[in-house]
Amino acid sequence: MSATDITPAGMAFCFLLLLIPVLISYHLNLKLINSTIESAFRMTVQLALAGFFLTFVFELNNSLLNLAWVLTMVIVASYAVLKNAQLKYGSFIVPLTLSFALANVGVLLYFNSLVIGLNDLFEARYFIPIAGMVIGNSLRANIVGINDFCDQIQRNENRYLSSLSLGAEKYEALKPYLRKSLRNSIRPTLANMATVGIVFLPGMMTGQIIGGSSPLTAIEYQIAIMIAIYVSTVMNVMFGVIILMHRGFDEYGMFRKDMLKGA
Amino acid sequence: MDLIKVEKVCADAEGRSILSDLNISVSRGEKVLIKGRSGIGKTTIFRLLLGFKTPSFGTIYFEGRPMDPRLAWDIRKKVAHISQDSDIGEGTVKEMLDGIFSYAANKGMLIQEELKLLLSEFSMRADVLYKKFENLSGGEKQRIAIIISLLTKKDIFFLDEITSDLDAKLKRKIVDMFVGNPSWTVLAISHDAEWEREGVRVIDLEKLQENSNVCN
Repeated sequence: MSATDITPAGMAFCFLLLLIPVLISYHLNLKLINSTIESAFRMTVQLALAGFFLTFVFELNNSLLNLAWVLTMVIVASYAVLKNAQLKYGSFIVPLTLSFALANVGVLLYFNSLVIGLNDLFEARYFIPIAGMVIGNSLRANIVGINDFCDQIQRNENRYLSSLSLGAEKYEALKPYLRKSLRNSIRPTLANMATVGIVFLPGMMTGQIIGGSSPLTAIEYQIAIMIAIYVSTVMNVMFGVIILMHRGFDEYGMFRKDMLKGA
Repeated sequence: MDLIKVEKVCADAEGRSILSDLNISVSRGEKVLIKGRSGIGKTTIFRLLLGFKTPSFGTIYFEGRPMDPRLAWDIRKKVAHISQDSDIGEGTVKEMLDGIFSYAANKGMLIQEELKLLLSEFSMRADVLYKKFENLSGGEKQRIAIIISLLTKKDIFFLDEITSDLDAKLKRKIVDMFVGNPSWTVLAISHDAEWEREGVRVIDLEKLQENSNVCN
């Protein structure tokens, strides 16, 4: 059993639904008509391309190509983190990409080998979509973590300096901020984990059920993927903030404000 | 040999010159009061000595060594610095103390008997330990900061306005204590006349900077 294809007519009916937000926007003057059309258009084109590309990648199912594709995702994600963080790219992009690759690919390989038990660890059908979920979710947390750490260290500069003058090493003085940033960035993922199944049915599970899997198989995967996401998120955020602790301070232990955007 | 030597130092912040051509020497055991109107750069001197700020010109020597990052980290471990800013910690006083004395440099230095003694010495009740630091009064914060600096057993002190919020009796007691110990080297920034007494060398930063050369 496999999901029914949506017919072109069905697709047309789907797009017709967009008339509702368009009309609401028109009447309430939300000025969102153009954005709605543009976003829907971009989504369609991007997903169509992804569909063709993934079909191609899945048919080829070449381990090296799959790995290369996942590494591309990692690089794009690292850029996205820095784009949304207050930091300049310069000294962060390389270590951040490496740590992202290490944490995510590490978790993925563990997942594919020991949890799912695949013979081919890089099998496209598993490796790529799961990578997408793991990377996409840890990306958000990483942005929160890095921004939170930058904010805290600037807001609490006096407190940080007084720790240094009380004899703390850099790491000792920064530990409270590392701790707070980790907690703040991980908490949403934890909340997500605690409400899943009741408040919302995750996209992957829904997809599997529509695709013909039994709900029981779907939840097995969902449980496994939630744990994989949580673990990779914790690792990613920790690596991200530790990189910032190393590169974001000069030899005197002073926060390098020149690394912030707009400096 | 001078313990501290500030030689021809210039410092600026945000394009504005704060200190120019500053020369100060302090030998071991000396008690020095740095005074002058607000904004003249007294606190900047401490920031320079602790390596929190780099001079735009000139050199700072500590125990004869010119300032570099390694020396800065050493100085921070040898000096007890009390900042004028009271935002030095969060949580209860006890949690703050536990944090500070968990640093490798301070391990094992928190002796409860000593802490109790110091608290009563400075007219504070023992239950202050369970109050949130940020809710303490200015005077209480100053006394806690002083107690911390004493517990870390340093013999060089950089004290930035540590008596401003204390009553006359406590002011005297604290100045007596810092000035009276012959082996301590004390640099104090203060507007309190209490510090101007025999045995304390006064550096009037205003006068010192009046005729200094302009930095470039």
